[in-house]
Amino acid sequence: MSAMLLSKEKWPQFVGKFAGKNLWAPKLEGEAMRFSPVEEGETPLLEFSNTRIPPKSAAFPQTETMFRFQLGNQEIKLPELGEEMILMGIRPCDARAMSIVEKLFRWDYDDPYYLERRNLITLIGLACNEPGLNCFCSSVGGAPDSTEGLDLLMVDLGDSFLMEAVTPKGEAVLKEAEDLLEKAGSEALKSREAITAEAGSKIRRTVDHKGIPEGLPALWDDPLWARVSASCIGCGTCTYLCPTCHCFDIQDEVEGFEARRCRMWDSCMFEEYSLHTSGHNPRPTRRERTRNRINHKYNYYVDKFDVIACVGCGRCINLCPVNIDIVEILRQVKEAL
Amino acid sequence: MDLEQLRKTAAEVVSREDVKYLIGWKKGTYGYRVAPVFVEDAAGAAELFFSPLCTANLTTYLTMAEKLPLPRGQEADKRKVALMVKGCDSRAVVQLLVEKGIHRDQVVVIGCPCPGMVDPALLAEKYKETEKPVDLKWDGDQFLLICDGEELAIPRDEVLAEKCRLCRYPNPVISDILLGDPVEKWEVAEDSGVAELDTLDINERWSYWQEQFSKCIRCYSCRNVCPLCYCQDCILDRLNPTWVNRAVNFSENTAFNISRAFHLAGRCIECGECERVCPANIPLGKLNRKMAQEVREKYGFEPGIDPDAEPFQASFKPDDPEDFIL
Amino acid sequence: MSDSFEPNIVAFLCNWCSYAGADLAGTSRVHYPANIQVIRVMCSGRVNPLYVMNALQQGADGVLVSGCHPGDCHYMEGNFFARRRLGMLKDLMEYVGVDPRRFHMSWVSASEGHKWKEVVEKTVEDAREAGPFEGFRRRRIDW
Repeated sequence: MSAMLLSKEKWPQFVGKFAGKNLWAPKLEGEAMRFSPVEEGETPLLEFSNTRIPPKSAAFPQTETMFRFQLGNQEIKLPELGEEMILMGIRPCDARAMSIVEKLFRWDYDDPYYLERRNLITLIGLACNEPGLNCFCSSVGGAPDSTEGLDLLMVDLGDSFLMEAVTPKGEAVLKEAEDLLEKAGSEALKSREAITAEAGSKIRRTVDHKGIPEGLPALWDDPLWARVSASCIGCGTCTYLCPTCHCFDIQDEVEGFEARRCRMWDSCMFEEYSLHTSGHNPRPTRRERTRNRINHKYNYYVDKFDVIACVGCGRCINLCPVNIDIVEILRQVKEAL
Repeated sequence: MDLEQLRKTAAEVVSREDVKYLIGWKKGTYGYRVAPVFVEDAAGAAELFFSPLCTANLTTYLTMAEKLPLPRGQEADKRKVALMVKGCDSRAVVQLLVEKGIHRDQVVVIGCPCPGMVDPALLAEKYKETEKPVDLKWDGDQFLLICDGEELAIPRDEVLAEKCRLCRYPNPVISDILLGDPVEKWEVAEDSGVAELDTLDINERWSYWQEQFSKCIRCYSCRNVCPLCYCQDCILDRLNPTWVNRAVNFSENTAFNISRAFHLAGRCIECGECERVCPANIPLGKLNRKMAQEVREKYGFEPGIDPDAEPFQASFKPDDPEDFIL
Repeated sequence: MSDSFEPNIVAFLCNWCSYAGADLAGTSRVHYPANIQVIRVMCSGRVNPLYVMNALQQGADGVLVSGCHPGDCHYMEGNFFARRRLGMLKDLMEYVGVDPRRFHMSWVSASEGHKWKEVVEKTVEDAREAGPFEGFRRRRIDW
């Protein structure tokens, strides 16, 4: 696949080719970066660590209508999910997360809502030159320049972006902008290697998960779970901001004689998530729910899909109101093993 | 406050037969973070500390203890919980007593007079967080940031948390043990944090709040961290009847936030936690403080001061204002 | 346009005074605007502010809560609680930016058929002036 160079002077023009055509990029909204539509004439500045809310809502919206129906007849109206989208500036960890989550949506049933949306998205990633304070992607199979899940990878070389196509979709993007691009020489490629290697060496937090997926079942009754979950307040922040979390709830909303069935994010950290109709709750306290969350990411998902469902983006660590730190929890798990 | 005295007192309290555990603050896992810690024995007390970064309100854990059904023959553990509180936090304890959410003999209150807390976001803006351990100390009307042996003086106004700027009760209003000397109250800021919005006209206010409520992701952090939101079954989570749909859109977000603010009217003790934890940075303080101000001005009541007071929304006075009634 | 706009008002009336007062207006052939939808509750103190929020969400342009005069509540104190709580609600809604003309509270006793007419007319007029409620109304979400 080709590697081309885009000088930063031509960046606004590059963006201009796609702006207004359902292009999304990180924008500062209030105090946090968030993926937002890019209108014509706007130029996103790609100077940020990572967005607060991951772009998983592109393929898995926080609330989506599954179908509409009316009282009295058997017809249902299905949605049309036909719009193509370009996500620009997504970090390699988030893109990797999307391919991890896709495994679940293809597991026993091909989820049409997720997969149709996912196939319409072109992912233009931005490699990390500076890892965040709590990033640990390299410990869980990622890297600052990982291309998994991406269609095109951009690396910031200082005065230009190196654009590496990964899939035919990425090639198509390069083709559309070919008048602005130059062929990338060996200088540029060397510079890219150096930059991403340095970024990798700057990652400060590490997780040694060797033996954890296999060893977790034995720790089911370990007192460590009560310890680490004591301060949890049971909000959904870690799950909502996690790029690999994908739990959802389905509700019917009735208005008059019409109704819609919609799917929305849910969180395994909420008490009512596992509440049965009988009133029994298999995960009655936060201890069980925290244990479940770690097991899901580092054990159950590995069992089913051979991959750890954590990409090391660090959002849960940054935003947990009470500083519950997954790296610290895994360290304690390793110690207990 | 003397940290040695704190740890010694905590170790003594935890070693008491009638105390189950003590809830305090310990250094977090990185940067400026501080985490709540549950100390169960005297050895654990060594982790405790008290610094300008201890903004978290620990009172919320009093009502968060989850009780599983007990096996036959086993008695419930009815021992007390010891709790470290600052001025604002102690008002939450009093309000819980007023509402009978807890009994006075269930809790040992360890009061810490508070000279003012730092907003970690403001601090991180000026002095980026690194992986090096840092310490923050009070020093008159400034803070000292200690990192790598170097001390940096930061003027208080630059990084003081908004809630502290508006603080009227730096000293605990209730305590069994008081650690440290009482702190002198400073001039209360006139604006109470809401004056700016009050001056706007109604449509401008609506645009402001419309923008804010659109950011909400319904994570429920604000509700869960609030010491006074402790209903076992929150009405805003209920299905059948569903008051607020689970779908996340502007209408439901607004209903959720306004309803929660209403449920806190006359109960909110302005600890500022909701604002601190919101991942979407919604200025919930401006919402809840407005209600607290109205209750103060129109009804002359301040929650969380008098443990024998009557709850605001469950009581009335014959001369309550009724100028709005047709 | 605004001439043909007919506001929808939801009214929560206490069973013993206001509902009876509204009934009296009816039997006395006092004409009052038909924009009003009455929901009978046993006491105004029973009105949960969530009802008001929900009514506005579901398409009401205005909400009215009416109860017995202070001192005359059938359950002694219910209307006092209502006065306090709904007073706070009105302040909160105005602060958030919802037009205060959309929410009213009144004391209408069982013998005040004419007062009922005036209360309804005021509520409807205010809602008409404020226009159709857009605010945080539930929008039809197609997809």
